[in-house]
Amino acid sequence: MRARQFDWIRMVAIVFSVLTVATVCGIFLFLLAGSVEAWRHEGFSFLAKNHWAYRKQFFEAAAMIYGTAAVALIAIVLAVPIGLSTAIFSSEICGERSRLVLKFLVELLAGVPSVVYGLLGVLFLRNWMQTLYEKGNLEVYSGDTLLTAGVLLAIMVLPTLSTLFDDAFRSVGSKYRDAARGLGLTRAETTFQVILPQALPGLVGALLLSFGRALGETIAVFLVVGRADNRFPKLGGVLHSLVDAGQTITSKLGGAETNIAVGDKLHTSALLGLALVLFVVVVGLTLIADVVRSRLSSETVA
Amino acid sequence: MNLSKVTSQIAIGIMAFGAVSVSAASLRINGSTTVNPVAAEAAEILRAEKKADITVDTQGGSSGGIAGVGDSSIDIGMSSKPIAQDDRAKYPKVNFVETKIGHDAVAMVVSADVYNGGVHFLTKSQIKDIYEGRITNWKQVGGRNERIVFLNKEPGRGTWEVFAKYLYGDPKTAPEVNHPEVGGNEETRSKVISTRGSMSQLSSAWAENNPKIKALGLKLDSGQVVTPTAANIANGSYPMSRPLFFITNGSPTGEARNFIDFVLTPRGQELVKKHGYLRLSDLSRPAKEAAQPIAKPAAKVVPRKTGR
Repeated sequence: MRARQFDWIRMVAIVFSVLTVATVCGIFLFLLAGSVEAWRHEGFSFLAKNHWAYRKQFFEAAAMIYGTAAVALIAIVLAVPIGLSTAIFSSEICGERSRLVLKFLVELLAGVPSVVYGLLGVLFLRNWMQTLYEKGNLEVYSGDTLLTAGVLLAIMVLPTLSTLFDDAFRSVGSKYRDAARGLGLTRAETTFQVILPQALPGLVGALLLSFGRALGETIAVFLVVGRADNRFPKLGGVLHSLVDAGQTITSKLGGAETNIAVGDKLHTSALLGLALVLFVVVVGLTLIADVVRSRLSSETVA
Repeated sequence: MNLSKVTSQIAIGIMAFGAVSVSAASLRINGSTTVNPVAAEAAEILRAEKKADITVDTQGGSSGGIAGVGDSSIDIGMSSKPIAQDDRAKYPKVNFVETKIGHDAVAMVVSADVYNGGVHFLTKSQIKDIYEGRITNWKQVGGRNERIVFLNKEPGRGTWEVFAKYLYGDPKTAPEVNHPEVGGNEETRSKVISTRGSMSQLSSAWAENNPKIKALGLKLDSGQVVTPTAANIANGSYPMSRPLFFITNGSPTGEARNFIDFVLTPRGQELVKKHGYLRLSDLSRPAKEAAQPIAKPAAKVVPRKTGR
């Protein structure tokens, strides 16, 4: 063994990873400290009750939390079947060369800035949705609805979702495919009974990551969600609420109130509280996704 | 994809809107989308002729402009509402100076189907009833049987404040409503055009020259119907009108001064007219004080309030 030299590369790497971690922790602490006043003012009702009216100092955000969750769930529910089919096609059916071309094109889609999707949403999707609602005789207000935002988000997370799904399928070793085919299983049987169970942890992880992305997406949602406050449905009204205007945490933070709140401590703190809720949920989801992916895959591959 | 990459993306996502873009330009202008077309074109001319280094942005509307001057992130704020006592209280160290550059009206605009369905004007109390949700169908005000989609200008916009002041005297006493909201003039116009049965508040200049969006008249208590035409705004008979301002911290100096002076010259005032607003010289009453090329900005000095 050689004498230990001072390892610059190692040092630089450590410094930058500490910096990254510190940034994340710093944001968390900043949001936490900044929102203390709102938590003190509202307590648990900040999350559980529904009345947001900054002029009267009501900061109860349930409707926005509901809107955020609803939009992201719609996006995932719509995107998963398509993403799964695309991934099965690209990883199990396509040849290697066409797979790379397909994957390249899909990843190109993932790189389209979200404002572009947002503009397409404003120009086309919201009008299509409104026409659709009217054809279905739904008594709706306009094309700006939670469902519209969900559909737009589904299109946006689809590339990420299908490329991560594809990675999950490809991470299953080819020995399983060979063995399955050797046993005389058909391609469908191989895919659904051998590969899919093996890839499951990766798929779940991909799903959670995409869900996190959908929760945090701002501008595209902002443009088509309607930005109507305090629309928190009763249990029977959930379905109708999806075809009505709503508000998400991101559309609130992207709106006018961040400017109005300047100088107003409580209002600012309530907005930072919203950011904290979003931050904790998304970071939490990402952590769970990483744990699921690493733990389950080590179980199955071994 | 690793954790840090994802979380940093999220952090950027959270902050993407809150942050006003930082630029190295020597003259930074931000604020009202109503004032923007004038400022943007003036900036273009000065860039070409004087090699001036100017950025014009519209983050957050008039409030964004006022806040930007307040925290010194910009040099000139564009505003379609005067500085309020609240603004001075928020930034006690800042000496807000308003320079009036033109005049505009807020119109109640509707999509063409509403107008063609027979609604050409509304009374103040009808507008209140629609705003507060007591009237929800156009047939209640003489139109077709169609639900009313009220797209509310978001709070903090100069347009909304003029509207609320007209209906309720003081914007602070406006009732709490939960309509879908729209932001800048571009968004308001495109959403009204594309939503059947919709109505919103919009700078009247932005409702001209497009057959798909119509400005309604206001029926006054006297029974007279006034529409937001240049003549009615100029003689003061159309009630929802407002001055357009450049806001600076103290009297404008240097680059900011050059820019504002340019907009106040006859050539700059032509830009105000070109974009559908009234020039200072078009106004019958306050015109005289501001008609000549300005040596001193027509600032309104309001005693500064300390504390809240």
